[in-house]
Amino acid sequence: MKKLFPLLLLIVTLASCQKAPDWGKLSNDLLVYTHYDQAFDFAQYNTFYLPDSVLLLDNSKEDPVYISSNDIRARSILEALTDEMTRCGYTQVNNRNEADLGLIATYIKRTSTYIDYNYPYWWYDFYYYWPLDYWDPYYNGWYPYYPYPATYSYTTGTLAIEMIALKKADNTAQKLPFVWTAYMAGIESSNQINIANSVAGIYQAFEQSPYIKAQ
Amino acid sequence: MKVTKILGIALLLCAAIMPSTTQAQLYKSTYFNVDWQFNAPLCTDFANVPSGWGMNFEGGTYITSKLAVGLYGSFHTNNKYVEPQVLQLSPSSHLYTDQIQSIFQIPFGALLKYRFIEDSMFEPYVTAKLGTNFIRMSSSNNVMDFYTESWGFNVQPEVGVSIFPSSSNRTGIHLALYYSYSTNQNQCLTYNLNGLSNIGFNLGITF
Repeated sequence: MKKLFPLLLLIVTLASCQKAPDWGKLSNDLLVYTHYDQAFDFAQYNTFYLPDSVLLLDNSKEDPVYISSNDIRARSILEALTDEMTRCGYTQVNNRNEADLGLIATYIKRTSTYIDYNYPYWWYDFYYYWPLDYWDPYYNGWYPYYPYPATYSYTTGTLAIEMIALKKADNTAQKLPFVWTAYMAGIESSNQINIANSVAGIYQAFEQSPYIKAQ
Repeated sequence: MKVTKILGIALLLCAAIMPSTTQAQLYKSTYFNVDWQFNAPLCTDFANVPSGWGMNFEGGTYITSKLAVGLYGSFHTNNKYVEPQVLQLSPSSHLYTDQIQSIFQIPFGALLKYRFIEDSMFEPYVTAKLGTNFIRMSSSNNVMDFYTESWGFNVQPEVGVSIFPSSSNRTGIHLALYYSYSTNQNQCLTYNLNGLSNIGFNLGITF
């Protein structure tokens, strides 16, 4: 029996050593996650509005920071979004109050932003996030509504694209429905937005979302 | 008639494995195997790449000259790289990523071993192992890990041979082929594991 104890100890010790995968095999390719409201008929809407900025979320900054389209990083992201929405048959409008759909792009630079879509009031915790009254002063005090329950943990270097059904606002419940979310990671290199990966991620997000199609 | 036949076979088996009094003085009563393990998961499209990332441990006591009871435990990892693809996680959600799939197993339990020849240079044997298996099924990408863990029953028949180069020393080489089946059920991303079969071999030392 004395021989058995060292052997058991050896088993327990070695069994805790799972062989780690060869991380070098993983490409620096993107991870693109998309989620949409199945009850929403994208074909019934024709126009969209895209703000001229990308919101930057950063731990080190408390106030909202917007990267304007004068910056090539934001411009590349916004142009890719415009291209894809146009390719899907939607028409871009310059007046946000006339648009059927609104798109927002957020670059999450902070280490970890935990977002619980089951509890949309997280919106208020991140007061520096996209304000809903950006779309209409009337929406002040409203909160977003995600028809699909999901919980995400956004990590460093994530680009989130969200689509809002502006013409489907619920006046009674004061809810503004977010009908599509695209979340892409792996778009940062050398602590900066990687433009090529961001654009590739947007193309991939639309490619795996064929339901986004105007009539 | 049928009962008599079964009893007859059982008696013959007992006679075959029961040692005589003199034989009982000759055989070494305990043994241990420490092996490197090569394992291949079967009938699954998840991490179904053979690998040598595992070890096997086994120890037992001969209760007769040919029959031993003991304990076994092993661990093994099988990893597989999968090119980028779109996975439909639910009717309304999709994920595009490449991934490294991994199955990590720790089966352990009790065993019954029967060797056909004792105190010889070559000792061929068969073993039946019965126990439990812990499986961690995971998919990793550049950003995060998805994983599930489960416990299941494990059964593992094995044939092998212990080779003792020196008649004066009971330390030798151990070689075994095995098949194992576990009842574990895991789900990771779009992949389901509903029971897991493995085939492989162990190569190591016995003492």
